[in-house]
Amino acid sequence: MTTPAAAPARRRGSALGWAAALTGLTVAIVYPIPIQMSGYTYFQTVGFLVFLYAMLGIGWNFIGGLAGQFDFGPNIFLATGAYTAALLAVHFNWSPWLGFVGAILVSVVICALITFPVTKLRGHYFAIATVAMWMIAQPIGATWELINGSRGLFIPMKPATGLGEALITLQFPGRSKGLVYYYIALGLFIATVVLFRTVERSKLGYYFRAIRDDQEGAEAIGIDSRVYKTAARCLTAAVFATGGVVYCFWAQAVFPDQVLEMNWAILPMICTVLGGLGRLWGPLLGAIILIPIAQVMSATLGAGPLAGRGLDVIVYGIIIMGVAAGRPNGLLSLPWARWFGRTPAPGSGRAAAGAVEDAPARR
Amino acid sequence: MTELLQAVVNGLQMGALYALVAVGLAIIWGLMEMVNFAHGEFMMLGMFGAWWLSSTLGLDPLIAMVPIALVMYGLGVVVYTQLMRRVQRGDVFAQIFATVGLLLFLQNTVVAGFTSDYRFVSDTVLARLSGVNIDLFGIRLGLPLLIAGLIGLALFILLYLLIDRTEIGLSLQATSEDREAAMLVGIHPRRMFAMAWGLGAALVAVAGVILANFFSVYPQVGLQFTVLAYAIVALGGFGSILGTLIAALLVGVVQSVTVVYLAPAFKDAFVFGSYLLIGLARPQGLFGRF
Repeated sequence: MTTPAAAPARRRGSALGWAAALTGLTVAIVYPIPIQMSGYTYFQTVGFLVFLYAMLGIGWNFIGGLAGQFDFGPNIFLATGAYTAALLAVHFNWSPWLGFVGAILVSVVICALITFPVTKLRGHYFAIATVAMWMIAQPIGATWELINGSRGLFIPMKPATGLGEALITLQFPGRSKGLVYYYIALGLFIATVVLFRTVERSKLGYYFRAIRDDQEGAEAIGIDSRVYKTAARCLTAAVFATGGVVYCFWAQAVFPDQVLEMNWAILPMICTVLGGLGRLWGPLLGAIILIPIAQVMSATLGAGPLAGRGLDVIVYGIIIMGVAAGRPNGLLSLPWARWFGRTPAPGSGRAAAGAVEDAPARR
Repeated sequence: MTELLQAVVNGLQMGALYALVAVGLAIIWGLMEMVNFAHGEFMMLGMFGAWWLSSTLGLDPLIAMVPIALVMYGLGVVVYTQLMRRVQRGDVFAQIFATVGLLLFLQNTVVAGFTSDYRFVSDTVLARLSGVNIDLFGIRLGLPLLIAGLIGLALFILLYLLIDRTEIGLSLQATSEDREAAMLVGIHPRRMFAMAWGLGAALVAVAGVILANFFSVYPQVGLQFTVLAYAIVALGGFGSILGTLIAALLVGVVQSVTVVYLAPAFKDAFVFGSYLLIGLARPQGLFGRF
């Protein structure tokens, strides 16, 4: 790893990585502009959803990828975040920006309180416990009077007088809405990337991976697995709460069956696993592939005889089964480097296969 | 007092049906240690089969049970040999994803074929008996649910005997405990796993056929039963078939008592709440061996 010959190759690799990231960022920034000029802004919404799901996928990567615990119900924190911000806006007239802070705080506290007890459970049992929480959250959302039960909450409309005010209330008139929300999602996605990269390389990230790879071993060297599993899920909760706030101000309403829908739990995980579990760019790759399929299919099928017949989800199902059976470590685990001739050294194929085991540490 | 007893008895009858829903998962997940999140979708296929055979051929669900069980056994074997065998050795994540993919695929294939409309299997033998009650010490037993519960119980006991008393069942248990040792004594593990998946799919489909007498039939019906079945198997304890039965009866009783005395909307929430409490006090479940 630290042999002199390997060092420059790695530096070159990281330079290439930076170039790729810059190119990607430029494309992401420029992407909605021609769409805005063409007037058909639908694909801005597709882009918005891609970054929203990619962000949630990275959020899920904290508990699922880094800490290795299967969380089946992160959508309860999306709901918590959406409702917190909506309540603050409805009752106290708070701006969504303050709503972010409130939503993250409330979700993290709730997550810590309900997650710590179940960290005692492992593997399947932990997964079922998170499903149980989701099942308990559903009737609460549908009946609790504070959040208006199944009638939902509506964000009060405030026609902004200028751009400055619109940026505070996050309510934009007409065609500019899609554009601005696209950039909001992009910005939050980048913030989540930075957060994930920071955690991944910090002591916290090493503790998470130690627990994932060998819980007994981690405990033997003094890592309290229950505390750090809770911490990992709190990071997941914070990201989902942020996503919830964005979603609720974008939709300008919160309904319990909408924010507690299974898609909010399953799609981010599927994006993550398709791209590569535990890898920084896995969720983005997965979201870029999966989200447009559903959006484009529902747009092209329109009101035809096959509309609303779940054809997009059938395609999802086939892709997921194929990836699980053929490449369970995701598309990023394919030996891309070897195919593009960047690491021609003998045994690089084995190195790529080895990277499968400790995927988060590489790249 | 009578009211409470009535609620408990109603719960026990539903519980017997839940036992049949959960026992397929008890074999696949509890015994063979493979995950199946498409469990409820097998049940949904059974319900649709019952509806389809009843509306086109006029077959009563109680008869349609037999061909549906055979077809679903075949489907279970195909799912194992074509999909699950490939993910069996890997991470448990791969199994979860493969079966979530299967869930989405099966559910939406049915949506594509039949739309998401609610359907009802009407004019069945059990439906014609509705309104017939047996009075037992002041507790009313509705005949349809009673018969359904007894069928569920009978099938459950047959399965228990199959697994606990016959050579096939012992081979299944041997495979789950030690694959290599099982191979040494001439058991084909793959054949055993395929059989476990076939049995699991057939049993839950039969449960679906019976439930089609009482519940509406629609493509998304499966998930609620999947999560209920997971809670039941985990509550009963891994590898314990009888534990599954007792947990299922318990879940039925918790639900019906919640509906009568607390809030109907919270009937599943109370089930999962009790699962969390029991799970935390006894992570291996009520009767789990490990």
